Amino acid sequence: MLKDVTFGQYFPGNSLLHRTDPRIKIILLIEYLVLVLVAESLPAVALSLCFTAFLIAVSGVRFGILIKSVKPLIFVLAFTAVINLFFTKGESEPLLEWKFITVYSEGVRTAVTMLIRLLSMVLGSGILISFTTSPLELTDAIERLLKPLKAIKVPVHEFAMMMSIALRFIPTLIEETNKIISAQKARCADFESGNIIKRLKALVPILIPLFVSAIRRAEELADAMECRCYRGGEGRTKLKVMKTRPTDFVFLASVTLFTVAIFFVNMIEFSEVIAFCADIF
Amino acid sequence: MLSGLNVKIEKGSYTAILGHNGCGKSTLAKLLCGILLPTEGNVSVAGMDTANEENAFEIRKRCGMVFQNPDNQLVASVVEEDIAFAPENLGLARDEIRRRVDEALATVDMSDYARHATHKLSGGQKQRIAIAGVLAMGPDCIIFDEATAMLDPTGRKEIVAAMKRLNKEMGMTVVTITHYMNEAVEADRIIVMNQGEIIADGTPEEIFSQVEVLHSVSLDVPQVTELMFLLEQDGFPLPRGILHAMDAADELEKFIGEQKNERA
Amino acid sequence: MNALEFKNVSVVYGEGTPFKKAALDNISVCFPEKQITGLIGHTGSGKSTLASLANGLLKPTSGEVLLFGENIWAQKREMKKIRSRVGLVFQYPEYQLFDETVEADISFGPKNIGLSDEEIKKRVRLAAEFCGLSQKELKRSPFELSGGQKRRAAIAGVLAMRPEVLVLDEPAAGLDPKGREEILGGLTEYKNTYGATLIIISHSMEDVARYSDNIVVMKEGEVYMQGAPEEIFMQAEKLFDAALDLPQITKLFIELKKRSLCQSTDVYTVGYAKKEIEKIIKNA
Repeated sequence: MLKDVTFGQYFPGNSLLHRTDPRIKIILLIEYLVLVLVAESLPAVALSLCFTAFLIAVSGVRFGILIKSVKPLIFVLAFTAVINLFFTKGESEPLLEWKFITVYSEGVRTAVTMLIRLLSMVLGSGILISFTTSPLELTDAIERLLKPLKAIKVPVHEFAMMMSIALRFIPTLIEETNKIISAQKARCADFESGNIIKRLKALVPILIPLFVSAIRRAEELADAMECRCYRGGEGRTKLKVMKTRPTDFVFLASVTLFTVAIFFVNMIEFSEVIAFCADIF
Repeated sequence: MLSGLNVKIEKGSYTAILGHNGCGKSTLAKLLCGILLPTEGNVSVAGMDTANEENAFEIRKRCGMVFQNPDNQLVASVVEEDIAFAPENLGLARDEIRRRVDEALATVDMSDYARHATHKLSGGQKQRIAIAGVLAMGPDCIIFDEATAMLDPTGRKEIVAAMKRLNKEMGMTVVTITHYMNEAVEADRIIVMNQGEIIADGTPEEIFSQVEVLHSVSLDVPQVTELMFLLEQDGFPLPRGILHAMDAADELEKFIGEQKNERA
Repeated sequence: MNALEFKNVSVVYGEGTPFKKAALDNISVCFPEKQITGLIGHTGSGKSTLASLANGLLKPTSGEVLLFGENIWAQKREMKKIRSRVGLVFQYPEYQLFDETVEADISFGPKNIGLSDEEIKKRVRLAAEFCGLSQKELKRSPFELSGGQKRRAAIAGVLAMRPEVLVLDEPAAGLDPKGREEILGGLTEYKNTYGATLIIISHSMEDVARYSDNIVVMKEGEVYMQGAPEEIFMQAEKLFDAALDLPQITKLFIELKKRSLCQSTDVYTVGYAKKEIEKIIKNA
């Protein structure tokens, strides 16, 4: 059930993306999301797909892991695609008409673009951030990027520390949830039948032990951190000093260029490309 | 929880605090490193009173603690980042942090795992990382609060071996709080606790000679200790406080030999 | 008769991918009725997988799991019934407690099976008795109990379903000697009262030696040895190969045999050892 959740998991490695400055990666992610959302024309979508493929290639993340990261979202993806397919009204002749279902070519197109967008967003954020950036690096990066906010008394360090601990405990709590579900199932608990209220009620024997355990963990962790001389962000140094290397800027510049390119490509319709080619010959 | 306790732990010693669940031994551990303050009396670490707020940081630096649940004391998702946590808190220079992390990893024999994800390690490995995390702080003393209770026999052996190495090779003061007598046997001194009081204090041999006392506070003794004790109770003049199978075999061989000679 | 039988059972994770891994590899093993079987093995040897198969929490990739001769997967709809007949207590079961009172928590299983209120009450009382929980403790919140009491309350929650077969994954882990005694003693009593079959997974050779009628040793997803305790503990070398230890008393007798002071090494409890030594001394 929850075994397939890869969210928040980090896979240590030494790829180009692993070595990229996490701050750059955060900016890259923002650019990437813009790129994916903007790409609308077919050539632009194709280009954005190429870019995603490029990211996969330089991330060194195993293909199986990518598949796994998408798996829990299959239902959402399929639902979005189907809705777009059936409910987009087009001006041209319908491709298919059967009882109350009509499918226009525009519908097919929106469905496909939506699907590609969602998939790219999931894969891209996975590859750029969670799979290739250790949570500590990520929160460090956020802490540094948000540093200016300290001036207006925003507790940036505390926020970053909280986030890093939350990320660190995601796999532990997922494992724990699975254990509790199994244990309650062994006591003949039924999570799969009955109406919605009954099903929600069935979650109580899972949620309460989970909360109790999370609180206990938090208390113990607080003791352990205190014992290891933690006293807030004041006077703390870092093992890893974030250094932006020239390659990072090259990476950033090329991606920025690419994004701008997509903006322009976006204005060209596929038909125009064909017409252009026809003109040449 | 504890009442009228007086105890001194020598620098460089290896002490086990033995007692059943809820006898106050964990409270004692928390007092020792200053995360808990006594309601009456005082605790001092290297001459510093734990009740004095100004000493707190220095005491924690000197006296590290490894807890029971390996999952709940790892702060970071990657091994070396976790070990760097304490030196980072101390505000050390980057090179010094690096040096301490590598050294601590080597001490617990986990150098190959520096870049591994912490949650994928076995219980014994996680606990070794926790030890390394404390070592990187550069303490003089490490307290193990039931650090082996959640481990399998292999993990337990790894941790006990690490404790011995820290004490014998690195001269560190080790205090281990446990209810496993196999672990207590490895220490140089055992303190037995019951209902918040110390009821026995001595070398493993001295402690395990008092089988009745241990049984009375629902503690076990090693099987051979029990056997030798029962034989002695039945009138055979065998020594008490035998802890290892090999020693028991030696004593029995000697005794049987004597019996043969007498009859011959 | 065998209460539980595994026939050519394999459990394979990630079938069809390069990361294929067999947690259990074509194992066949029987658990005889009304006996206590100790299940031992190194971490990752497949013990816990075997436990999850016993009550159908996990479906074998191939092979059959038989409960009193019947395949538990023959009728999928009956799984709830199978789970009430085969109780499974996980490691550190106290983490599954959730209800307002210990009594309500123990009732959770029986309620799920759909027993009458009266029957539930009776079973809860009996289960609590086996686990040494008093009436006063039944009315308390499970979160106020001590570690050992919590463990016993969780086990009572499974006993209250009155399972014919009970599989326990390290029921005494982390407890002090008194706590271990209370739990293992209570379980033996339950077994004797209802003629139940017990499978106890343990890392403690001393506990296994003391409580089991049979021992099954697992190694790397396979059944490595099985037999009566004295048969198993006589094969010291083979146990060491499976990264397991011997009870300390057996080690003593192996040493005594090396010194030609005794013949047999099938000794694994202190009581029996004492008799043997006295015999040796008398014959000296």
